[in-house]
Amino acid sequence: MGDGGVIGRAHRKVDAVDRMRGVARYADDLKLPGMLHGRIKRSPHAHARIVSIDAAPALALPGVHAVITGADLPTPYGVIPWTPDENALAVTKVCHVGDGVAAVAAIDEDAAIAACDAIRVDYEVLRAIYDPVEALAATDVTINPYARAGNLSKHVDLAFGDVDAALAASPLVVAEEYFFEGSTHAAIEPHCALATVDGGGVLTVWSSTQVSHYLHRELAKVLGWPAHRIRVIQPPLGGAFGGKSEPFDLEFCAALLAIRTGRPVKFLYTREEVFLAHRGRHPMAMRYATGFDRDGHITAVDARTIIDGGAYSSFGLVTTYYSGQLLGAPYRLPAFRFDSTRAYTNKPACGPKRGHGSVQPRFALESQLDQAAVELGLDPIELRRRNFLGADTRTVNEFAIGSCGFLECLDRVEAASGWKARRPALPHGRGLGVAGSTYISGTNYCIYPTELPQAAVQITLDRSGRARVFTGANDIGQGSSTMVAVIAAEELGLDLADIRVIAADSDLCPVDLGAYSSRVTLMVGNACLAAARALRAKVVEVVAARWGIAPGQVSLVERQAIDQTDPARRVPLTEAFHWAEAKHGLLTAAGSYDTPRDRHGAYRGGTIGASPAYSFTAHVAEVEVDVATGEAQVIAVWAAHDCGKALSPRIVEGQIEGSVYMGLAEALMEAHTVDGAHGGVVAAPSLLDYRLPTALDTPAIHALIVEHPDAQGPYGAKEAGEGPLHPIIPAIAAAIYDAVGVRLRRTPFGPPQLLAALQARAAREAAGALAPHKGRALAEVR
Amino acid sequence: MLRLPGFRVASPTTIAEAVAALAEPGARPIAGGTDLLPNLKHRLGAPTVLVQLSRLPLRDVEVRAGALCIGAGAVLADLAEHPLVRAHAPSLARAAGLVAGPTLRNLGTLGGNLHLDTRCRYVNQTPLWREALGGCLKSHGDRCHVVPGGQTCVAALSSDCAPALVALDATLTLHGPAGARTVALADYYCADGTAHTGRAAGELATEIRVPLAPGPRRETYVKWTVRKSIDFPLISIAMRFDLADDAVAAPIVAARVVVGALASTPKLVRKLDALRGQRLDDPATADAIAAQVGAQCKPLPNLPYDADYRRAVLPVHVRRGIAALVAAGENHG
Amino acid sequence: MTTPPDQGELTVRFLLNGEPVAVAVPPHWTLLEVLRYRLDLIGTKQGCDKGDCGACTVQLDGKAVPSCLVLGSAVDGRAVTTVEGLRGPTLHPLFDAFDHAVAAQCGFCTPGIVMAAEAYLRRLGRPVTRAEAAAALAGNLCRCTGYTKILDAVVAASERLHGAGGG
Repeated sequence: MGDGGVIGRAHRKVDAVDRMRGVARYADDLKLPGMLHGRIKRSPHAHARIVSIDAAPALALPGVHAVITGADLPTPYGVIPWTPDENALAVTKVCHVGDGVAAVAAIDEDAAIAACDAIRVDYEVLRAIYDPVEALAATDVTINPYARAGNLSKHVDLAFGDVDAALAASPLVVAEEYFFEGSTHAAIEPHCALATVDGGGVLTVWSSTQVSHYLHRELAKVLGWPAHRIRVIQPPLGGAFGGKSEPFDLEFCAALLAIRTGRPVKFLYTREEVFLAHRGRHPMAMRYATGFDRDGHITAVDARTIIDGGAYSSFGLVTTYYSGQLLGAPYRLPAFRFDSTRAYTNKPACGPKRGHGSVQPRFALESQLDQAAVELGLDPIELRRRNFLGADTRTVNEFAIGSCGFLECLDRVEAASGWKARRPALPHGRGLGVAGSTYISGTNYCIYPTELPQAAVQITLDRSGRARVFTGANDIGQGSSTMVAVIAAEELGLDLADIRVIAADSDLCPVDLGAYSSRVTLMVGNACLAAARALRAKVVEVVAARWGIAPGQVSLVERQAIDQTDPARRVPLTEAFHWAEAKHGLLTAAGSYDTPRDRHGAYRGGTIGASPAYSFTAHVAEVEVDVATGEAQVIAVWAAHDCGKALSPRIVEGQIEGSVYMGLAEALMEAHTVDGAHGGVVAAPSLLDYRLPTALDTPAIHALIVEHPDAQGPYGAKEAGEGPLHPIIPAIAAAIYDAVGVRLRRTPFGPPQLLAALQARAAREAAGALAPHKGRALAEVR
Repeated sequence: MLRLPGFRVASPTTIAEAVAALAEPGARPIAGGTDLLPNLKHRLGAPTVLVQLSRLPLRDVEVRAGALCIGAGAVLADLAEHPLVRAHAPSLARAAGLVAGPTLRNLGTLGGNLHLDTRCRYVNQTPLWREALGGCLKSHGDRCHVVPGGQTCVAALSSDCAPALVALDATLTLHGPAGARTVALADYYCADGTAHTGRAAGELATEIRVPLAPGPRRETYVKWTVRKSIDFPLISIAMRFDLADDAVAAPIVAARVVVGALASTPKLVRKLDALRGQRLDDPATADAIAAQVGAQCKPLPNLPYDADYRRAVLPVHVRRGIAALVAAGENHG
Repeated sequence: MTTPPDQGELTVRFLLNGEPVAVAVPPHWTLLEVLRYRLDLIGTKQGCDKGDCGACTVQLDGKAVPSCLVLGSAVDGRAVTTVEGLRGPTLHPLFDAFDHAVAAQCGFCTPGIVMAAEAYLRRLGRPVTRAEAAAALAGNLCRCTGYTKILDAVVAASERLHGAGGG
């Protein structure tokens, strides 16, 4: 810790007031002189070969400046450099309804829409496949134009220990199938990009991206422009959640049309286009078998997963690994095998949504534990305690775990929910359920091979007593700009108001890899800490020399340098900065952070999912089930999360609350599906049809911060933005079981699904195959 | 973003001006705009001129000549809280207060709600989406995706207020080139999702009249949606019971049950005569009504939610609505 | 097909954040488009195109409405208040409460929520409960917060604006 006394206090965010008052300019709030408006013409076919495109009728319309097609941007790209399998605009074929085939730039949106309508595209319609198993079996249809193995996108098969022997020897094996439905991010801000070329030939792209750096790289690649002639700026961003974590068609189209027309060009997605861009949660069909000994200890886990990838890879290579690799904690798995297969289908591509790749398998595994607890007559919290992996250890798949506050998370939710006293007393229809999870604080390896550091921060002190922090980190609302300000203020003894954060502008800021995989607090925080400490040392040294004391006897706190041996002796920091600048010249320092390379497995794929530090979470959900309508209402959620150290507790609470909300929504009502019986349309492509819970649909969420500092994190901090989403889905499923005795193994747990399960249970009760749950026959309650 | 198609606007200040403006081919009235504008953004319709009704003197709510008279331009949020509406048509106040979400209720009007276009999961999307689908009876096509082989559009009546007002025997007054006419709302809707109201081209709805109850009455409106706000109804039931005296347990004199969100018309549930003399607090009464609703009302896969589920729980919501009336006892609201 | 028929632009006169204005408006533009793209009042956000999200909420004659479902020409003679209308030399209590509670994460929905909340608190003129605030804001979607801290902030602001000791 520094002297500042800033860490761990309830901060306001450095940029919140400007955002809420409508001062901050998000991407669509930017307007440049002479700006043109772009629009993308999209395919109405789920799978078709492009025979011809005639843009002449569009170009003949008034106000239309340019039309481009896939032939103008033929270089394929992909956020994962090993799988470049999509184009900015379709080149030879379209692979889902909504694939872009042409883009226009016109004087206004109306003219751009008219131009898109005027473009004539001839298609040869191909057979579309919407089911991943069918796609994998098909020999006559290859969906992705760059596919190298038919419709197989990725297959991972890893085994640790002798799973078959362990299961054969287990007195209890829980074997079930689960299905996790797709869902999407639905950030309230639609994607938007604006591009312009200046007189010096530099292309500037403002984009609502959460990965400026990867966008920068892919723009250079696809446009064939050197990276040093491209500037990428991320303006304030209106939510992302993984939905803006790779390049999209509109960024390439805005850039090329700006180059072609010599005028600024802006693209703003319609809400439907946001649903078509998707990159959301993958649907996963999971078959799990978990063995237990008689005391409830896990003996082995065997998992087989089919992943529905949609038309392109996106992050799918990583998703496929994450579907197994992130299950190694917080429970000790003596043996573990997973076999995951991602298939291409004629749907919008799936990608990373908050809790990338591991929310679905976590639902399966935690559901297995809950079922085992019932079969063994154990309290589900106790069963989890017995399987606790521990801290400072390695997982079965060889990931090094540092701090681990999972047991405290369990203790906290058990106490706060009144679990012990209330759970046995809850009547039929009411239930409590628990689940746990872990998540990464970034990944040890960048998604492209590099020796360069993962994060860097530059800090400059100015003569007015301010600090300017330059960071490439993308603040997507999660508060990363506040995070670096808090660290700088802590180390330099400044007030938060004295810190100016300049972020996510490739001309001004050092490279950061972006806001994904929950990497920012740990990695950018460490880089910021290094820079701030270097600057602090310069200031402290000069002050100490003037006062004739040791540098260790100088504190920087509350905008003052203080002599610890004589606290009456103090000088305003502004003056101390002047002293230091007089000696050192401009006061500036850089800090870099790179990940440890000794915390992963020594096997192929053993680096994927390895993180410097892991967060841990436990949730208890309380649910009330209406047995006549099948509605499950979540009454309250207690969510305890070990974030290592809460640098800004209110922001951490907000991440916990938002995660619970988002997971609860996909547990109960959200589904991003494609209607294969109706042309392959996205079934719910609007915020009316895709139902986000309103304030009236959201339960009381009790965020409980647990702090087990990790040596790898700045001041011990670990992630908080994604981990707290995971347990809510299995916790609700478990609570539903506790309430009414039915197991839901498919999401979402909507009223139709729950009512059908209740009716099935009632039939079995009536046939004498099941005893009434909590002593009440379903026929009686209904 | 989705843009509106080009059109002109007219802003009449008298009913005569409005009727004159609506005489132009391609003219359409716009009241709150909360239904029409999303549909136009989806290019469902291409009016030449939108005749704005917001300046017309059509917002009054009063009791006149034995009826609660409501101007068609009265705003839903106001109706939900209006003392006269709450006193004389509490089920209408409830229905108005359940339309969409709070901000849309500040725009939407009663006349507009009665004229909501029918809705279908296969229609209310963008032109790209409908092109991918291949069109349908209501939009550039000749087939129905809800009823295979169907020749008549079954897009769903999605008004919350229409079932309530039909249950209350309300009438609607329209002004047109030939003068004014008044129709029973029960006769106003027809079974064609592409043109489901009796409003002739050039006509303008001006007033809704609800006859005052001849005696003691209990009434309610039940709506179920996935979310507790914003959504159009997935279950929509209006119920009215005229009673022999003012106790909730008094014998039923007359009963009227109307179900919405089925096909294009509000469905008047028949065969309720046997209820006369029965009592609301007798569970057999609720069971009998629920059974008739279940037998006569078949939710279709036209709305974006599981139709089998909606069928299964429709009777449950009937029973719950009645139970709530009984629980409220002497408290009429 | 989308060329506007020949009505030209209409001159719309209304009270905007307390000031009378006259604005030339194409007939098919929504109030949201007029505010954002004609008047550069970018605090009113566009999220869903068609009245489903609440990000574009402004006050029309003091009532919260989605500006994407109001024709620009329809506000002639009326009063429109946008989030910019709540700016002043001191931070409005709602902004202060939202900031204190960290109720804005990405902040994109926040101006619309603040406008809905301000209209509601002004109409009630008393402290509100969380349940009341939730009902009043049930037309405004937030994807970041789970509403928890938003409701905290609205309740706190209502107490400060209308509490026993408040002004």
